[in-house]
Amino acid sequence: MHEAMQCLYCQFPEALRAGLLVSAVCALLGVFVILKRAVFIGITLSEVATCGVAASFLLGIPPLMGSLVLVLASVSLLAIPFEKQRIPRDTLMGIMFIAASALSILLVSKSGPGLMEVNAVLYGDLILSSKKELYTLLVLLVPALLLFLIFLRPILYSFVDREAAKVMGIRTWIWESLYFLILGVVISATSQIAGALLVFCYLVVCPATALMLSKRIKWVMAIAPLAGMFATFLGMVISFEHDLPTNQTICIVSCALFVTGILVKQIGLFMFSRISH
Amino acid sequence: MSGSIITCKDVCVAYGRTEVLHQVNLEIPDGIFLPFTGPNGSGKTSLLRAILGLIPIRKGRIHSPFQQNAAGYVPQHKVIDPLFPVSVRQIVEMGLYPKRRLFRPLSAEQHDAAENALDMLNMAEHTDKTFRELSGGMKQKTLIARALVSEPDVIIMDEPTSELDEQSEQEVLGHLIKLNRQYGKTVLMAHHDLELMGTLTSNMCQVRHGKAVIVPIGNGGQTDA
Repeated sequence: MHEAMQCLYCQFPEALRAGLLVSAVCALLGVFVILKRAVFIGITLSEVATCGVAASFLLGIPPLMGSLVLVLASVSLLAIPFEKQRIPRDTLMGIMFIAASALSILLVSKSGPGLMEVNAVLYGDLILSSKKELYTLLVLLVPALLLFLIFLRPILYSFVDREAAKVMGIRTWIWESLYFLILGVVISATSQIAGALLVFCYLVVCPATALMLSKRIKWVMAIAPLAGMFATFLGMVISFEHDLPTNQTICIVSCALFVTGILVKQIGLFMFSRISH
Repeated sequence: MSGSIITCKDVCVAYGRTEVLHQVNLEIPDGIFLPFTGPNGSGKTSLLRAILGLIPIRKGRIHSPFQQNAAGYVPQHKVIDPLFPVSVRQIVEMGLYPKRRLFRPLSAEQHDAAENALDMLNMAEHTDKTFRELSGGMKQKTLIARALVSEPDVIIMDEPTSELDEQSEQEVLGHLIKLNRQYGKTVLMAHHDLELMGTLTSNMCQVRHGKAVIVPIGNGGQTDA
């Protein structure tokens, strides 16, 4: 295991750094995805990002640009108030998910580059991250993370109780839109490097683990990125040692961490009840 | 009690083509304890939400002091998703946002204000509990503490006791009466129990058929003009 760690760090330093960065940022933002009960938005935007990459191949534009344009357009569409609409927001997300998934395949079938090359970019493979991709991630994710942390208070209050927040003078639509804009940028930037499945895993599984382990928002927001980074590191080491696909290994490790979290909590509760009695 | 704190002039509120409030004219006196009563769908909640600025009015004008001094708003406790891992203290501190804004940390005075609001509602020993760990009555009291912490002149509540048992309802209403009588707060609340309100106050705002009018009731009027 120790040897695998050393080899991983020596041979794939960019992949390791990119993985740690992507996992930390996505897991942190994912806490609010779960609390907003909007888990489906994670996979929908990931698929839309993939579709944007596929469209970029056809149009001959940089993949990140295509992905960003489509994801931000989708975020704007989802930001429309849905209280008075005939269909709920998650139904629209479902339609967008289906359209994006199908369109990605159709666009790939008509794009110039070879299918293997397009698939690699479409579905991402963390272990293949390049130095350029790492810089791209840094340029987009660090400001996004800072914005999120700077405006955490009004974003949190808008999510906890929108109407009370409005009465207090908080312009909730600005902060909710800002959050989803940040989420959109992060998903666009990370999907083509880490792949839709792994990004979705970071957005859902790692925050869920944190929510299982703590009932304090500050701790949840600290544990989620740490769980993501730990799962990424362990997953990469295991995939390296056993020659397994990296993204899927990280996903399984994340899920195993989640199950471990549940077991630890249940055992803790059992022990506590025994001691109390 | 002196002058009007909130004035509604020819206020119309509609959802789509359905008009729920039609040319409502109200002058709400400062320092009043005023329940808004009426049958389901009469528009009492809509009127309170319009006064708070939560829903747009189609016609007319509402004059309130809320631009300068935000109202203390107590929604029904189910508006807060129990999934949020926020403590009672954090919810109450949320009420200090008008004073703290984006970046200011909690000052010693604000910390004391939060403690006092929780003390007043006998919630001091529950401050570290999360919202989901509280009973319905405690949740409502937490939201009342949040509304009080910034010391607003007006407290507006939407059916604050609708899902509480009788004992919790009495306790919550007792606190509201105390706020009105001891601290001179204007308390406006949507409430369905006319008989109970009659024991607490001498005026009510009757909302019916899209109109609202303040009328005298009961024998509880120790505070209202």
